[in-house]
Amino acid sequence: MAKQPGKDNFTRNLVIAVVVGVLLIMLVPTLLSRQTDSSASIPANVSADRGYGVVFNGELTGVPVIDIYEDFQCPVCAQFEQLNGAYIESLIAEKKATVVYHTLSFLGPESVNAANAAACSADEGKFLEYHRLLMMNQKQENSGAWDNGFLATLGQTAGITSQKFSSCVNKGDYLGWVSNVAAAGAKANVNSTPTVFVNGKEIDRNASEYFDAAKFKAAVERG
Amino acid sequence: MKTIQPWLGLVARLVLGGTLIAAGYLKFDELDKSQMAVRAYEMLPISLANFLGIVVPFFELAVGILLVIGAAVRITGALSALLMIGFMIAISQAWARGLSIDCGCFGGGGQVPEGEANYLTPLLRDTGLALLAIYLTLFPHTKFGLDKTPAPATQLGESNNG
Repeated sequence: MAKQPGKDNFTRNLVIAVVVGVLLIMLVPTLLSRQTDSSASIPANVSADRGYGVVFNGELTGVPVIDIYEDFQCPVCAQFEQLNGAYIESLIAEKKATVVYHTLSFLGPESVNAANAAACSADEGKFLEYHRLLMMNQKQENSGAWDNGFLATLGQTAGITSQKFSSCVNKGDYLGWVSNVAAAGAKANVNSTPTVFVNGKEIDRNASEYFDAAKFKAAVERG
Repeated sequence: MKTIQPWLGLVARLVLGGTLIAAGYLKFDELDKSQMAVRAYEMLPISLANFLGIVVPFFELAVGILLVIGAAVRITGALSALLMIGFMIAISQAWARGLSIDCGCFGGGGQVPEGEANYLTPLLRDTGLALLAIYLTLFPHTKFGLDKTPAPATQLGESNNG
């Protein structure tokens, strides 16, 4: 088959059009899906004004506001939880701080599953218990361990008995909310997890305010 | 030289295109991280950084695929040269300012603990890739490409570019 120059150009242009076209067709919906979907259903205690985080003691005034950005699959977040989790929960119980949990999901599909399940647990009033359990039960990232079946069963360990919870986990009722949290985290310029803001100011990573319980406490009290 | 040149071009196309496809594909899977990687360079307004975090992987894939197929080599070569120069500027400024970030070149990205940042490797790699891209922009006629093989007359013209 003798190649005609004109024919070659046609094939070439067609190939270019297909490659560029297909990628553009994929790009546009991806960009749109990153927009905040204000119609997505949100779980209990979530405030859109606070970056779609799960809020505890939102009504208090004159106390420090602690914003915690974390991913349930992030090992360093589990370390942070182990060191400071009990202290943070005591601040919530004693009404000494407003605490907002932002459950990011940049580590992959099982982070998304976990964040959705955590939202379901907020509806049952068991977010803190469930949150603690997830951090204690971290598995290898996206290994298939955190499927919805496991996450629903874990709810029972947290003391959740309702049928609604497992249906919420399995159906992914709060997937829209999960991506809203991610979009809000991106807008807040959170570039690693855990990231903690006290009264809107990030605590000092280089002064080990994250991984020294005494220093973390001091950072919170400093406000 | 005339006979080696198209073969050199083929190697350049495959190395550059293959790297771009790999880089784009690995980011494509975790766009949240890709956005995080761009933000961590602290170069651009956050909304623009978030936008680029999504667009860049698609762009890398498109340019990479076209380079491997050998379609519109001069244009895709020039585009990837610009991309590489952009990356080099971003990495250099992060290094100069002492930021502690992962380059996020092949997925990943964001802040890393103090002292763990490695800027030299990505910078050298991008320099090499930029040179390949510039070479392809100057000598876009390569073996086994979709681009029309030039007739002898245009080959004469091409030598003017060299």
